[in-house]
Formats: sequence, C-alpha cells, structure tokens
Amino acid sequence: MLDYDALAVELQKLRENVTGVTDTVIAASDGIPIISDVAKNVDPAHISALAAADLGIARQAAEVIGLGTLSQTVVFGSTGYMAVYAIGRMSLMVALGDKGLNLGRLLHESRPVIERVGSILTP
Amino acid sequence: MGNAGGLFHLCDGVVIAVDSPGSPGVETLLLSSGRVSAESWAAALAESVQTRSLQAVLVARGTIGAAEAQVLAAAALRDGAFAAAVGDVERCVVDDSVDEPLLPLTDGLAPDVLLSETGRRLDAVASLPFPLSPYRDRVVAASGAESAGSTAERREIIAHATGRRSARDIAFAVGRGLYPVTVEVSRMLGEGLLEIASPAASFSFAHGSLASLHARTEAGSAPAGVERPG
Repeated sequence: MLDYDALAVELQKLRENVTGVTDTVIAASDGIPIISDVAKNVDPAHISALAAADLGIARQAAEVIGLGTLSQTVVFGSTGYMAVYAIGRMSLMVALGDKGLNLGRLLHESRPVIERVGSILTP
Repeated sequence: MGNAGGLFHLCDGVVIAVDSPGSPGVETLLLSSGRVSAESWAAALAESVQTRSLQAVLVARGTIGAAEAQVLAAAALRDGAFAAAVGDVERCVVDDSVDEPLLPLTDGLAPDVLLSETGRRLDAVASLPFPLSPYRDRVVAASGAESAGSTAERREIIAHATGRRSARDIAFAVGRGLYPVTVEVSRMLGEGLLEIASPAASFSFAHGSLASLHARTEAGSAPAGVERPG
C-alpha cells in the first residue's frame, strides 16, 4: 500500500511554503489521481487527466524541438496558473495557483518535493 | 526574498512600486474586483509594449483616469511592503533590474516614510482584538454567518472563506488589499462571523486505493468477477 500520509505531508508543506498555491494533485502519468488536496469546486480526476495530457504534449515538444530535459509546463491564465511537473516517467504533480503565485519560488520548492514524492511512490 | 517575499522597485532614491506574492498587485485589484475586464486589460498590456507606459494606455483608452491609476499604484505599493514585512524574510538581494514595474507611482514614496507606515500597519495588526497571521491562519464561515446582516464586502469575504483560504488568499479572490482584508477578517473573527479552520478543513486530502505504482503494470489480466454476456 502506498504511504498516503507521507504524500499528504509533502503536499501540505508545498502549499504552506509557497504563497499562492491553492490546490495540489499527484497523479499517475496516465491521468489517474493518486492523492489530491483541492477545493470543493475542483475535480481531481479532471485535473489529473488534463495534467497528464498537458505533460505528454510538453514532453513531446521538448524532445522533438530539442529543448533538453523538461523541467515544468505552466498554463498562464489572467487570474491564475496550472503548473505540472513530471515525477520520473510514471507520475506527475500539479500545482494550481492564483495570480500572486511566484513561479520561480514554486519551481525552487518543488524540486526537493518531487524527489521525495518519487521515492515514496516507488519504494 | 522569503515567504511571501517582495520586490521593491527603487528609482532615484524613492520607492516607485512593490510587488509581492502576498498582496494583490494592480492587475488583480482591477480584474478580480471587476473594475476592468480581462479583455481590455490584455489589450492595454499589448498596446503598452510600444508606448512603455501602461498608465498612459489605460488613460488614453478611457479605462481608468490618471488620478485613479496613481491612487491604485500607491495602495498596491503600501500593501506590497506590508505583505513582505508581515511574512518571513529569508534574505535580501539588491539587483540592478531592467524590469519596469507595471504601474509605478510617478512621484514615488521615500523609503523612511514607507518604513514607518509599514511599521504602523504591523503594530495595528499585532494589536487587533483577534490577532491573526494573514498567511498561516485559514478561516471558515461560522454557521449562520451567511444570513447575518452585513455589508457586501463582508458577504464577499464570507463567501470565499472556505476553510482552505487564508486572509491573503481571500484578498486575491476578492481583489482587495491584503491589509484591509486582514483587518476585516480579524474583526469578523472577533464577531463570530468567521472561525479559524481546523487542519482537516484547511487541507482536504483525498486518495484512491492504489496498491503501488509498480502494480499498475500487472493490471493486464482480466479482473475477476466479470460476467460475459450471453
């Protein structure tokens, strides 16, 4: 059984440490949600599916165009952001943020989280 | 740098803008409050690339007046300084930046004036009847708060107090300054309209029951108990 408590700790720390993060989801790279911390009006299944498609296209684009290793893919909206990070080849992490989110800080804080989540998911 | 942190734009010895992830900037103040539509904002931004002054474009388009733009710039500046000071400051870096602030305060504000004003605001928040951290404390509407007679601004705060949001998050959602929203949330906590949310309400973890990611590769075999038609 996956250590969901350990995953929850990581998601909680990310939302507490990065001002502007509103929701987080960890999903398998096929779009199946693994664990989520989202508002009532956000469906983790929808976010997971969208993020999986988003990450797939971004990864493909990085490979085809020769942009090197993909670090993140971000959807910019007029009132907020959706950032998607790959966790190895098997899973992904989504962070939704409002307009105040500092994407640089999110990327900085996400790196160690992604490493730890990766080892929790594949012990 | 820190959480929320902030970026102080200095020019000729005065502060002309402060951007912070902790306080809504001019864009959020105008868009989230419904004062300006997203379309006309985007059009003004695109147009301002050539003129290099967003304010000139906004005024020329009749979106907002010059005086209103400067009032807004001053409010966002003071709020940004408060947002940086009320959070954790990890380190300070001075940089020669070429990034122009979106809507600078033309005359600027002397650093010592900004410092003393921000200090007063910190003191005011610390001495509120219900002291709260605008970042850490997440608030939820008390039962019956929706029907309590109150102003439109209070009703809006109540509507956004889901338990997951801090005063800072509510300020962004309603498009008002961090300082006024923090003060209002504190008063509403004191009056019993809002409550500090429990950890269970602040974080709503939900998960399926995956055994592990490794097991997913073995899912090729037909699931047991599937009946064939016919």
